[in-house]
Order: sequence, then structure tokens, then C-alpha cells
Amino acid sequence: MEEWNGSPASKPHKKRSWYLAWKYKLMNQRALRKLCQTGAVLFLLVTVIVNIKLILDTRRAAYEEEEESAQEYDDEMLDMEVPKQPANTKKVLDVEVYSSRSKVYVAVDGTTVLEDDAREQGRGIHVIVLNQATGHVMAKRVFDTYSPHEDEAMVLFLNMVARGRILIFTIKDEGSFHLKDTAKNLLKSLGSQVAPFLSWRDMWTFVGKKGGEVYGEKHAKSPALSTWGDPVLLKTEVHLTSLEDAECRWPNTELNRRRKTFCSKVEGYGSVCSCKDPTPIEFNPEPLKNNKVFDVPVAVIAGNRPNYLYRMLRSLLSAQGVNPEMITVFIDGYYEEPMDVVELFGLAGIQHTPISIKNARVSQHYKASLTATFNLFPEAKFAVVLEEDLDISVDFFSFLSQSIYLLEEDESLYCISAWNDQGYEHTAEDPSLLYRVETMPGLGWVLRKSLYKEELEPKWPTPEKLWDWDMWMRMPEQRKGRECIIPDVSRSYHFGIVGLNMNGYFHEAYFKKHKFNTVPNVQLKNVESLKKDAYEIEIHRLLGEAEVLDHSKNPCEDSFVPDTEGKVYVMFIKMEQEADFTTWTQLAKCLHIWDLDVRGNHKGLWRLFRKKNHFLVVGVPASPYSSKKPPSVTPIYMEPPAKEEGAAAAPAVPAAEQT
Amino acid sequence: SVKQYVVKKFLGLISSQNIPVYLIDPLVLGLIDKDIEQIRSTSDGPRPECKYFCAPRDFTTFALLDKTWKHEVDLFRTAEKMGFQWLKILHKDPRLDGMDDLSGTEIPLHYIFKLASHAIHLVVFYERSGHYLWHGPLRLKQHMDRKFVPFRKLHFGRYSGAYEKPELLPVSIDDLKVQIPQNPSSFLEEIPHSRFLECRYREARAFFQLYPDDVSLDAVEFRKKAKSLLHLAALTLNNLGVKFWLSSGTCLGWYRQCSIIPYSKDVDLGIFIRDYKADIIPAFQNAGLPLKHKFGKVEDSLELSFQGEGEIKLDIFFFYEEDDHIWNGGTQAKSGKKFKYLFPKFTLCWTEFVELKVHVPCETLQYVEANYGPDWKVPVKTWDWKSSPSNVQDNGVWPVEEWDEVIQIY
Repeated sequence: MEEWNGSPASKPHKKRSWYLAWKYKLMNQRALRKLCQTGAVLFLLVTVIVNIKLILDTRRAAYEEEEESAQEYDDEMLDMEVPKQPANTKKVLDVEVYSSRSKVYVAVDGTTVLEDDAREQGRGIHVIVLNQATGHVMAKRVFDTYSPHEDEAMVLFLNMVARGRILIFTIKDEGSFHLKDTAKNLLKSLGSQVAPFLSWRDMWTFVGKKGGEVYGEKHAKSPALSTWGDPVLLKTEVHLTSLEDAECRWPNTELNRRRKTFCSKVEGYGSVCSCKDPTPIEFNPEPLKNNKVFDVPVAVIAGNRPNYLYRMLRSLLSAQGVNPEMITVFIDGYYEEPMDVVELFGLAGIQHTPISIKNARVSQHYKASLTATFNLFPEAKFAVVLEEDLDISVDFFSFLSQSIYLLEEDESLYCISAWNDQGYEHTAEDPSLLYRVETMPGLGWVLRKSLYKEELEPKWPTPEKLWDWDMWMRMPEQRKGRECIIPDVSRSYHFGIVGLNMNGYFHEAYFKKHKFNTVPNVQLKNVESLKKDAYEIEIHRLLGEAEVLDHSKNPCEDSFVPDTEGKVYVMFIKMEQEADFTTWTQLAKCLHIWDLDVRGNHKGLWRLFRKKNHFLVVGVPASPYSSKKPPSVTPIYMEPPAKEEGAAAAPAVPAAEQT
Repeated sequence: SVKQYVVKKFLGLISSQNIPVYLIDPLVLGLIDKDIEQIRSTSDGPRPECKYFCAPRDFTTFALLDKTWKHEVDLFRTAEKMGFQWLKILHKDPRLDGMDDLSGTEIPLHYIFKLASHAIHLVVFYERSGHYLWHGPLRLKQHMDRKFVPFRKLHFGRYSGAYEKPELLPVSIDDLKVQIPQNPSSFLEEIPHSRFLECRYREARAFFQLYPDDVSLDAVEFRKKAKSLLHLAALTLNNLGVKFWLSSGTCLGWYRQCSIIPYSKDVDLGIFIRDYKADIIPAFQNAGLPLKHKFGKVEDSLELSFQGEGEIKLDIFFFYEEDDHIWNGGTQAKSGKKFKYLFPKFTLCWTEFVELKVHVPCETLQYVEANYGPDWKVPVKTWDWKSSPSNVQDNGVWPVEEWDEVIQIY
């Protein structure tokens, strides 16, 4: 799970005082004064140094004072603030937009709807979408167009916004470096005269109606590479239209009433709000015959990533055998937009006041969500746990329906998970195949109520322990040697890239190439053989049948595995004792699978596919399957890279943690 | 009659929306119950008279299970088209009450549909942990029409209530097809004793702020065992049909902190002596709980103790009712001394505790205060049952010749 972005919706608006407005004005004047003083440089060098120092000092002092007073203001206002609703009778909105190196803000009718003066973040073009009839903020985004590809995301977003909406743009710090022509042309088509010429460290504000008039634009050029353009403050008026003009004329049905409510509040969800051809919000996937998980509650754990949640719920509601009545979305915080998404789909949502910070907060949110799930569905013996950044496979429920009885009958099981940590495009093959593993993958899994109620809930980490819930669940004290059932081909796909434990590189390297099942109604193979004792028989059968690979070759090379299909191969690696994963980690690295910690093992055995052949790796002598090694074969040992080299090669990834 | 007409209209509305409801109206069910054998056996032949739904009353009450329920908007639209006026009572979801800081969407507890001079009261039942059905209280909000119907006359909603989940029976009466509880008389008997008390979750949270909970392995283990002992005891007594309630430390744990007090070392239950059955001892023994000691006798100061798993004791105190108070007795084994614990009179309410539907005294505060004094909110780890309780009185000594009977230790 990752951090929730954005600020709680309970305090989106802040009333701006005449005092602050006056301060901003003052800053502009101060900048002017600075110009004059720079002229003086030519005359007296010594004075200059003194002067600059003086100016810098006063500026810093002024900044600090301002920050402080703004802070006080916040605290004072917190209790009394009432979100200001533009009255329906009012026809004109006053809009103020400020752009500068270190701060941006947007105020609508005296209410601050955006304020960002945080250091080291929020760089790029901030975009705000207002409803043209009510003046409500429908979307707030920032695109760091200093960095590559963010302009494409902005184009995508702007194209999704309905015609007639009011768009507000403002740059913080730098927004032009990777702003390509496509984006510039789009901004031009929205009526901006400056956009095509925006350049390095220019300041810019723009207010216009999509497909309509321009309400104002201000621009300050950067005088030199090393400096920024002067701050600009745009003040303008926007004329509101009637409510009817701002809405689509969809047939009056229960579904469209939900759609209407949603579309009048938020923007950026594409064709779901299209007037002509809106995308469906009810999916009616085929029901499953003999569905064993129809009455199993589904808990969706969410934060403030409404677009992710939207994508996730679409895939969940499209999965065959889904029962929307059993779904509850648990939102960590009083965020409005995720709740809007939940209501759009007619699902139940519960908001959770955040407790503690970072990982501990996620952990507390998990606990509350699981407890609530079993309270709301007291008859349930299991719960399906999902997260907002997962795609759900079309046969997700079919997969669970066929396998859930194992959790009932086999006490040596800890969970069933839809995710195979080692199931990459090049290492997973058979959607009907299941494994037993000693690790707990999470990312779409089934929890037994008795496990939660009797073991986990009573000793769940308390808020002051900054533990990851999943790391905690993987600890031997909790897992007690039990195993999870996983599919070879994952039934969930982790698409989240922004979060506490995630960044772009990390996602690219470890998640993007994960295999995801798209075949409906897969009949699972020999589910009974996944039970504790039967599985051992199955493994011994497999190992008996397996062909021993040529251990003189390099296991990292493609040629290590012959160019065959459908065969079973085995290799033996060195594994001195149960916790010796030295060679495994190196092998995992060169096979480009999960190597940040050990996943997917069962008694010193790993099962995957290479070139469409089943590929078994046995750790010798720690694994009980070592006896299958022919005496002539020497287990392969792979040395970890020297420390320095390793450090240089390793990318700067966050904690090796996947949730 | 108007009543039958309105009920018929309502049933039409409900079936047009595919909402399964069942009849829980005490008056109508009472009439039905008198003819229940006949109604069960006869297939639906048309009867001329209107015997049940025409009985004089202001309301007809139906129940609805929340699970079977969706698309409220369409229901209201159709209801309005049919001429109904309606009212909906929402409330916070009590199933989330015990949870830190969760806020779900409010849930509907009651609906009232009014047509002409008759109204339908639709009570929404929710399934809760402990295999029972719960309905909420009916409370009007500020802006609501207080004269919409004579609310005071409603049979459900004065308090929240807990019920067994009834088996349903489709019947045809007065030319109308309805579902009724399969056994109307046992449902009717439940009604007067259905009052439900929610645990005081907010106070419990405040308590744990002051005295952080013990989450050591020992405490977790004790709670787990005490919980399963309580479940076993409840099962055993319910099978015998013996009514019991949470008493002493177990009751205090529920009232003060909504959980088992980890250092309490036993589970305490109360039973009225009039409900005593000789089968109790063998029933517990069959359930794997051997008798540890038996003090007193049915006529005076009876107290039973059973040995649970892992050194946890199940204490059952029998309560004797007097005109103005209720008491139970205690006996000191080595001296034969008798003690008496006095309580103000109380009635029994349902509550939910460790996923169990159990009784507690409705007047819990008086009960707890009598037992633990005004400082019951402060945890006390050293407790002497002979001197610590505020309501203990000396009660003489058992005559030595009776000791064999009244002091039995195993």
C-alpha cells in the first residue's frame, strides 16, 4: 500500500484575507525595488554587496514572517471554516491566479482552492477545472512538464475534460522544459496566446473556457537562464452559465442519476461523462456457475487515488461472478473524490479517520477495514482483500471459487493469493496451474475469518509501531510455517506507480512485465493436489519426471534451457541451510525476476517457466528434495557481486517492499 | 376495509420491486397464531371474510432483511405514484460503532408508508456478529414531521431490538400472499424481551486512552480462552433453555471496556434461581467442563464453578429475588461463612459481546455500581470477593451438619 496523496477534502477551502492579498502585492513591489537596486550595482560595487546582502536578509525575513503568519491563520481558521458555496444566483466569479518560482495559488471568489508553496515539490503546470455553472472545483492536477512525458499526461487529461468547463493554469518554478509542441498547440487551441512561446523559467497564468472564451492570461519572461520570470498575478472574472447548459441530457434512470451526480462534481474520468456516448457504469458480467465465493465479502482498501480506484473498480465489476452487494471500499481519510467514484458505481464506501503516519497508518487502515468487513458480514468465513491499484482478472472469482475450499480443508494454509511474485511474462505460462509457497504475496488475496479473529486481530501492530502490515504478516510468529496458494499466472495486476513504496523505475523493473491472465473460465488443474500431503507427492512426481539440466553451463544464459516446449527441467543450486539464499538471489537477478527478497519458495524449491518449459530450482542440501540430485551433479554456486560494485549498480529504489 | 386495501397495495409495491418482506405485526400475527395449524395445512382457498388484516389498528408492521435490499430510489418513486407518502429513518451503522473512527454511509432503519388512514411500518433488520438479527431505534430528526403518524403507537422502534433469525413461511390469508415467521408464537414471545443495548464503545475508547490495553501474549491468550469458554457456556445454557446474563467482572468488562478484562481470570454468569435446572451440572460436564465446586443449595446461596480449559474458571451465581432487591450468595469454604451481595432490581436486555448475543442487566450502571462502587471505572487488580465488593454483607455461617451438602469441592 502506498501513501495517499493530496490534502483531506475536509479542508479544501481557505478564506483569504485582505491581509494576505496585500502581502502578495507588496512582494511585487519589492521585486521592482530589487530591479532598481541592481542598477546601482554599476556605480558602487561595495555598496552592491552590502545591499544585496541586506535585501536578501529582509526578503528572507519577510518570507519567514509571512509563512508564520499564514500558519497562524490556518490554525485559527480551522475550526470555523465553512466551505464557501458560490450562491446559485451569482452569475460572476472572481478568479485570482498567481504564478511564481516558489509559490502558486488560485482563489475563486476569495476562497483559496489551490495553494502550493512547499519546497522541492509541485513544480510544473497546475491545472484546475471548475464547473461552469456552480464554480465548484472538479479537478486539480499538477503536471511536472519540466520532466519528460508529463506533457503527454496533461494533453490526455485536458482532452478528457468536457467542453464548457473552466480551465485555470498556473506555473510553479519551471513548466516549459519538456512541454512539447503537441501540448503547446493544445493550449493554443484553448485560446492561450503565450503558450506557443513559453520558455525556460517563464511565469504564466491562464483562465479560459474549454471550447470557448478566454478570461485572462498573464506572462512574465525569464530575463536570463539563471533567473526566473517575475511573479504574475492574474485577476479576472468568469461568467457562470445555467445549470442546464452544464449538464448532459441522459435518459433519467437510476444509473444515469448516479452518473449525473458524479459528472457534475469531478472531471478527468474520460468517457464516463460523455454526453453523446457515455461508457457504461454497470457491467453485468456473466454469472459463474456454482459460484463458491458469491457470498464472500470483498474489501477494497483505498487511499486518495480516485483515478486508480476508478480503474480498479471497473475491472473488479467486470470480473465474472462478481457480487457488487458484497463489495465495500474502505477509504483512508475523508477524501471526497474516492467516495464519489464509489457512489458512481453504486457501491458501499466507508471512510476512516487516519491514525498514525506512513506505513503504520496503512497498517491501522487495514486492521479497521478487516474488522469492519467481518462486522458487516458476520456470516462470512472469508474475506477477499484488494487494493486500489490492482487490475482484477476476468476469472478472478472463478479462480477463487475453485480453490477456496482448500482454505477450509487444509489448516496448513495461510492464504490464497491472486499474485505470483515470480510470474513474469517470461517466467509464467500455465493459467490452470497452482503452487504452494511459503511467502505471502498479498495483492489480491483471501483471508480466513478465524485466522484474523483468533490470531491476527488481537495482536495486530499498534499505531506506534511503524510496521508494514504485510511484512508483519510474513513474520514467522504470525505465519507459523503455513503456506499460501498462488496461481502460476497472476489474477491481479499491480498498476500503481505513485505511492509510498513505489516510484517509476521500481515499477518498470519489478511490476510492468508481470503476466496477467486474460482468459475467462480457466479450469484449474488438479486443485486437490495442492493440499499439504498431496502436494509432496506431486512435487516428487514432477522431480522424478524432470530432466536434469547441464550444470556446466551458465544458468543465466538463454541456452541453459534447451529450445523445447512443455518439458520439465530441474537445476540444483547451492543452499547451505534454510536461510541461505545467496545463489538464489543471484539467479533471480539474472533471470530478471523478483530478487529484492526471497519469494515463491516451497521447502527450498522454486517453480517457474523458461521457454515454455517447467523449470524447477532446488537448493542443495537445505531442501528435502536434494535427494533427487544425481551424485554426479555439483550444485551451482553464484557469488554475489563485490559490495562496492553492487552498490553502484543498484538503482536508488525505496525499501524492497511490495504491497 | 382500508387496512386490507393499504396492505394489499403495499404488498403490490414491494413485489413490483422484488423486495422480500415478512409480516411481524404483533396484532395480526397474534390472530394468525390462533389459527396457525389451519393456515399451515389448508391450501389457499378463497375465504369470504377479512379476518386478520381488517382487525382494528393504526399500522401494519413488516420486516425486511437488509441484504435483500437495493435501489431505494425506484421504490420511492413507485410508492409515490401509487399514492403513498413515505418517511425514512437513517442512522449510523452500529456494526461500525465499535471501530475506531470509521464512518460509513448511514443505514436505513425504518420506513413508514402512509396511505389514507393506514400506515405500513417497515422495520429493517440487520444480521450481526453472534447469529442474530438487529433492528435500530426509531428517532426523529429535527426537521421531520412529528405528526406523520402517531409514532408512540408503533410496536417497534422505541428501543433497538435483537431477535433470532426466523424461518419464514409463505401463507395466504385474507386473499393476500405474505411471508410470516414459521413459528409466530415464539416470535411473539421474543418481542417483549427484545430490547438491545449497544456496548458503550465511545466510553470504552476513553477508558483505553486512560488505561492502555494489555496486548501481551498472555492477555491475548487469556481473552481467546475466555471467549471460547463464554461461547461454550452460552451454547450449553441456551440448549437447556436457561436464561443467563453476564455478571461481576465479565459484566464490568463489557460495560467499561467492551472486552474481557485480561486479568479477571474467570468468566462470571448470573442465573435467576427460578430458572435453575438440575440438568445444568451434567450438561456442563458433557460439554467438557467438570464441576469444580458447588456452594450453597437451591433454597439458599447457590453457586457453581466449572473448570474451563487452561485454568480459567466459569462461575455461575444464582440470584434470589426479593420485593425490593435481588441478591446472590457467597460461601467461604474453610470457615463456612456466608456472604450476601445485594443488587437493586433489574431486568434483562440483549447485547453483543465477543461475537455473542447475550443478556446483561438493562440497568447496567446500577448493577455495576452496586458491585464495584462508584470507582468502578478505575481498574483494580487485587480483588477480594469477601471484602472488596461494595454490596457484600455478612450472612452468618452454614450449620456444620450441612457442610457436606453446601460446601462441595472437587
